[in-house]
Amino acid sequence: MKSGLRLLLVDDNPADIGLAREALARCVRQSEIISLENGVEALSFLKRGGMYADAIRPDLVILDLSLPGCDGLTILRAIRGLPELRRMPVVMFSTSRLGRDIARCYESGANCYVSKPGSLNEFLAAVRSIEEFWCGFAALPPAID
Amino acid sequence: MSSSATQLAPKKQEEAKPKLAVLLVEDNQFDAELVLRALQQSGYDVSGTVVQDEATFLKALRANPPEIVLADYNLPDWTGMETLNVLLREGLDIPVILVSGALGDVTAVESIKRGITDYVLKDGLARLPQVVRRALREKYERGLRHLAEEDLAKKVDELARSNADLEQFANVASHDLQEPLRMVAAYTQLLAERYRGKLDEDADKFIGYASEGALRMQMLIQDLLAFSRVGRNATPNRSIDCNSVMVEVLQTLSTPIQESGALIKFDALPTVCANHTQIVQVFQNLIGNAIKFRGIDPPEISITSEKQDGQWLFTMRDNGIGIPKESLENVFVVFQRLHGRTEYPGNGIGLAICKKIIERYGGRVWVESQVGNGSAFKFTLPPEPADEFKREQP
Amino acid sequence: MSTAQVEILLVDDSKEDVDLTLRALRAENLANNIFVARDGEEAMDFLFCSGSHAGRSFEHPPKLVLLDLKLPKIDGLQLLKRIKNDERTKNICVVMMTSSREERDLAIGYSLGVNSYLQKPVDFTEFRQMVKSAVLYWLAINRPPLNSGGELLGTDAAHHTLTGHTK
Repeated sequence: MKSGLRLLLVDDNPADIGLAREALARCVRQSEIISLENGVEALSFLKRGGMYADAIRPDLVILDLSLPGCDGLTILRAIRGLPELRRMPVVMFSTSRLGRDIARCYESGANCYVSKPGSLNEFLAAVRSIEEFWCGFAALPPAID
Repeated sequence: MSSSATQLAPKKQEEAKPKLAVLLVEDNQFDAELVLRALQQSGYDVSGTVVQDEATFLKALRANPPEIVLADYNLPDWTGMETLNVLLREGLDIPVILVSGALGDVTAVESIKRGITDYVLKDGLARLPQVVRRALREKYERGLRHLAEEDLAKKVDELARSNADLEQFANVASHDLQEPLRMVAAYTQLLAERYRGKLDEDADKFIGYASEGALRMQMLIQDLLAFSRVGRNATPNRSIDCNSVMVEVLQTLSTPIQESGALIKFDALPTVCANHTQIVQVFQNLIGNAIKFRGIDPPEISITSEKQDGQWLFTMRDNGIGIPKESLENVFVVFQRLHGRTEYPGNGIGLAICKKIIERYGGRVWVESQVGNGSAFKFTLPPEPADEFKREQP
Repeated sequence: MSTAQVEILLVDDSKEDVDLTLRALRAENLANNIFVARDGEEAMDFLFCSGSHAGRSFEHPPKLVLLDLKLPKIDGLQLLKRIKNDERTKNICVVMMTSSREERDLAIGYSLGVNSYLQKPVDFTEFRQMVKSAVLYWLAINRPPLNSGGELLGTDAAHHTLTGHTK
């Protein structure tokens, strides 16, 4: 069995990060989880700049759309704009169900889009499904270093 | 008789004589006096100004706007028709009556087509007062109509604004309200799961109530949103075959139908003119209710239809628990429930949605029922337009 | 079934693998709207509404394309490049499903914008599980881009019935 993933969670709602961590704790494989509540910080982390010079390179980014300051879409575009991050799998995870928001995420290079469900069980199930697919059968891109 | 002057002073007034301000375009002094006298004699308190050319006409018009313009058709420098142009330019809605010596029928008709209110021949001045009266009455009625139209426009505006407010409220409810609620619902549930039996009995109870409350509120908001969405963004009406709607609904409800052993039969149903999704909702809510509120026996539901007063009247009969007389109207009110939450699930919005949809089509929905004796839900829907036409063919 | 309603486009020239995939999907009741293309050219026609599929419209793309790398006529990576570089098709979810274990292919695929990459297991049971897991994820959990804008509210029920959740 594969070992757990290194996941970067970007969400300004600590309650949702808590729920995601709860869901991942219930998975068979244990993932290493880094959570950041701010898009600009997440970008620094990914670029390994400044205080994040020694940061690990995550295998998967789970990114919320509504973030303070720089929104998720802008962060996504910035990620795709960097050659070393162009291949990084990014799962958009957002409460928005607007067709417009979903389309824009795909346009900007998101790998997929998962809506945050309203009920606890469905939320936990959604996060587990993300882990099950990306950590399970999906083959992740080799790192660019 | 007053001296020959272009301005005739108003005669001494008697009580209750209606005033009439007249602007007379006439170059013959004698004819002018005859016209004014005809009006005076019919009972008007006339104040008249007589002019012969455009410049004086305009000046008089601006100084003292008359109620009516009487113009001779044939003047040396200026025709009576041109008074119309001046009035148009000034933006004044004042009736113009041609008072002329000779006027061929063709000219008369032409003039009226171009905006002259009416015409009177100089040797038929006896007709003048009634012509004037009619012209003034029509103008008055025009004015009333205008006011009514303005009032309507204002109301439409208000309605549009109120609708926009409602939509904004619905949007706020759908996002801003649901977010913190989602947090409360999720974490009270997590609390319940993680700490059940680990704190004391009261704690379990308190957390349970909080969690249930939050979950119920989530459903209420979603139901309310569904209710408010009825009618918004609906695709245009088309011919809906209610038989295929039934097939669709029976498929969607296949699980509850199977579980309850429900027997559902329907006659050949008609085609109506409506929105597909909404008609499906109506049938689905009604049949779903009939299954849910069943008695001891398996539900038996029958759907029939008949033409009544140009509308299709549908009757959905069931053998369920029935509705008490006092509640027959209440059942259609949003969130009104007749039973405890533990007895029958649901928020009480299904029938409210049905009512809103049916009333959108100008129909009516009501229920006839007796406790223990089942219910008959009845509603009307508009037929498909072609159908009406076919019926009227001999 | 009209081709307008195709949910999954399976592009694979291996009869055994196509069989296995369809059987895996049928076992999960997911095989209703699948179109199989045996080579890159047919897949191209299908997605670009040309040739033998000229009647199709860009308004109804499949929700998922399962694409093998090694294909006759037009190969997988070339097809992927065409899909991801065309405005009309670039948002379609494409998952590479291939026996290739070459890191190079992985790297190129992701660089070209493939949504995900699956390596076909040798074991039959694992293969079936992989297909099931992938299709469940991409059809039930993931939200594909729709061509029209507007809210999806109200489609949650349909979306989640695949996973057994009811509203």
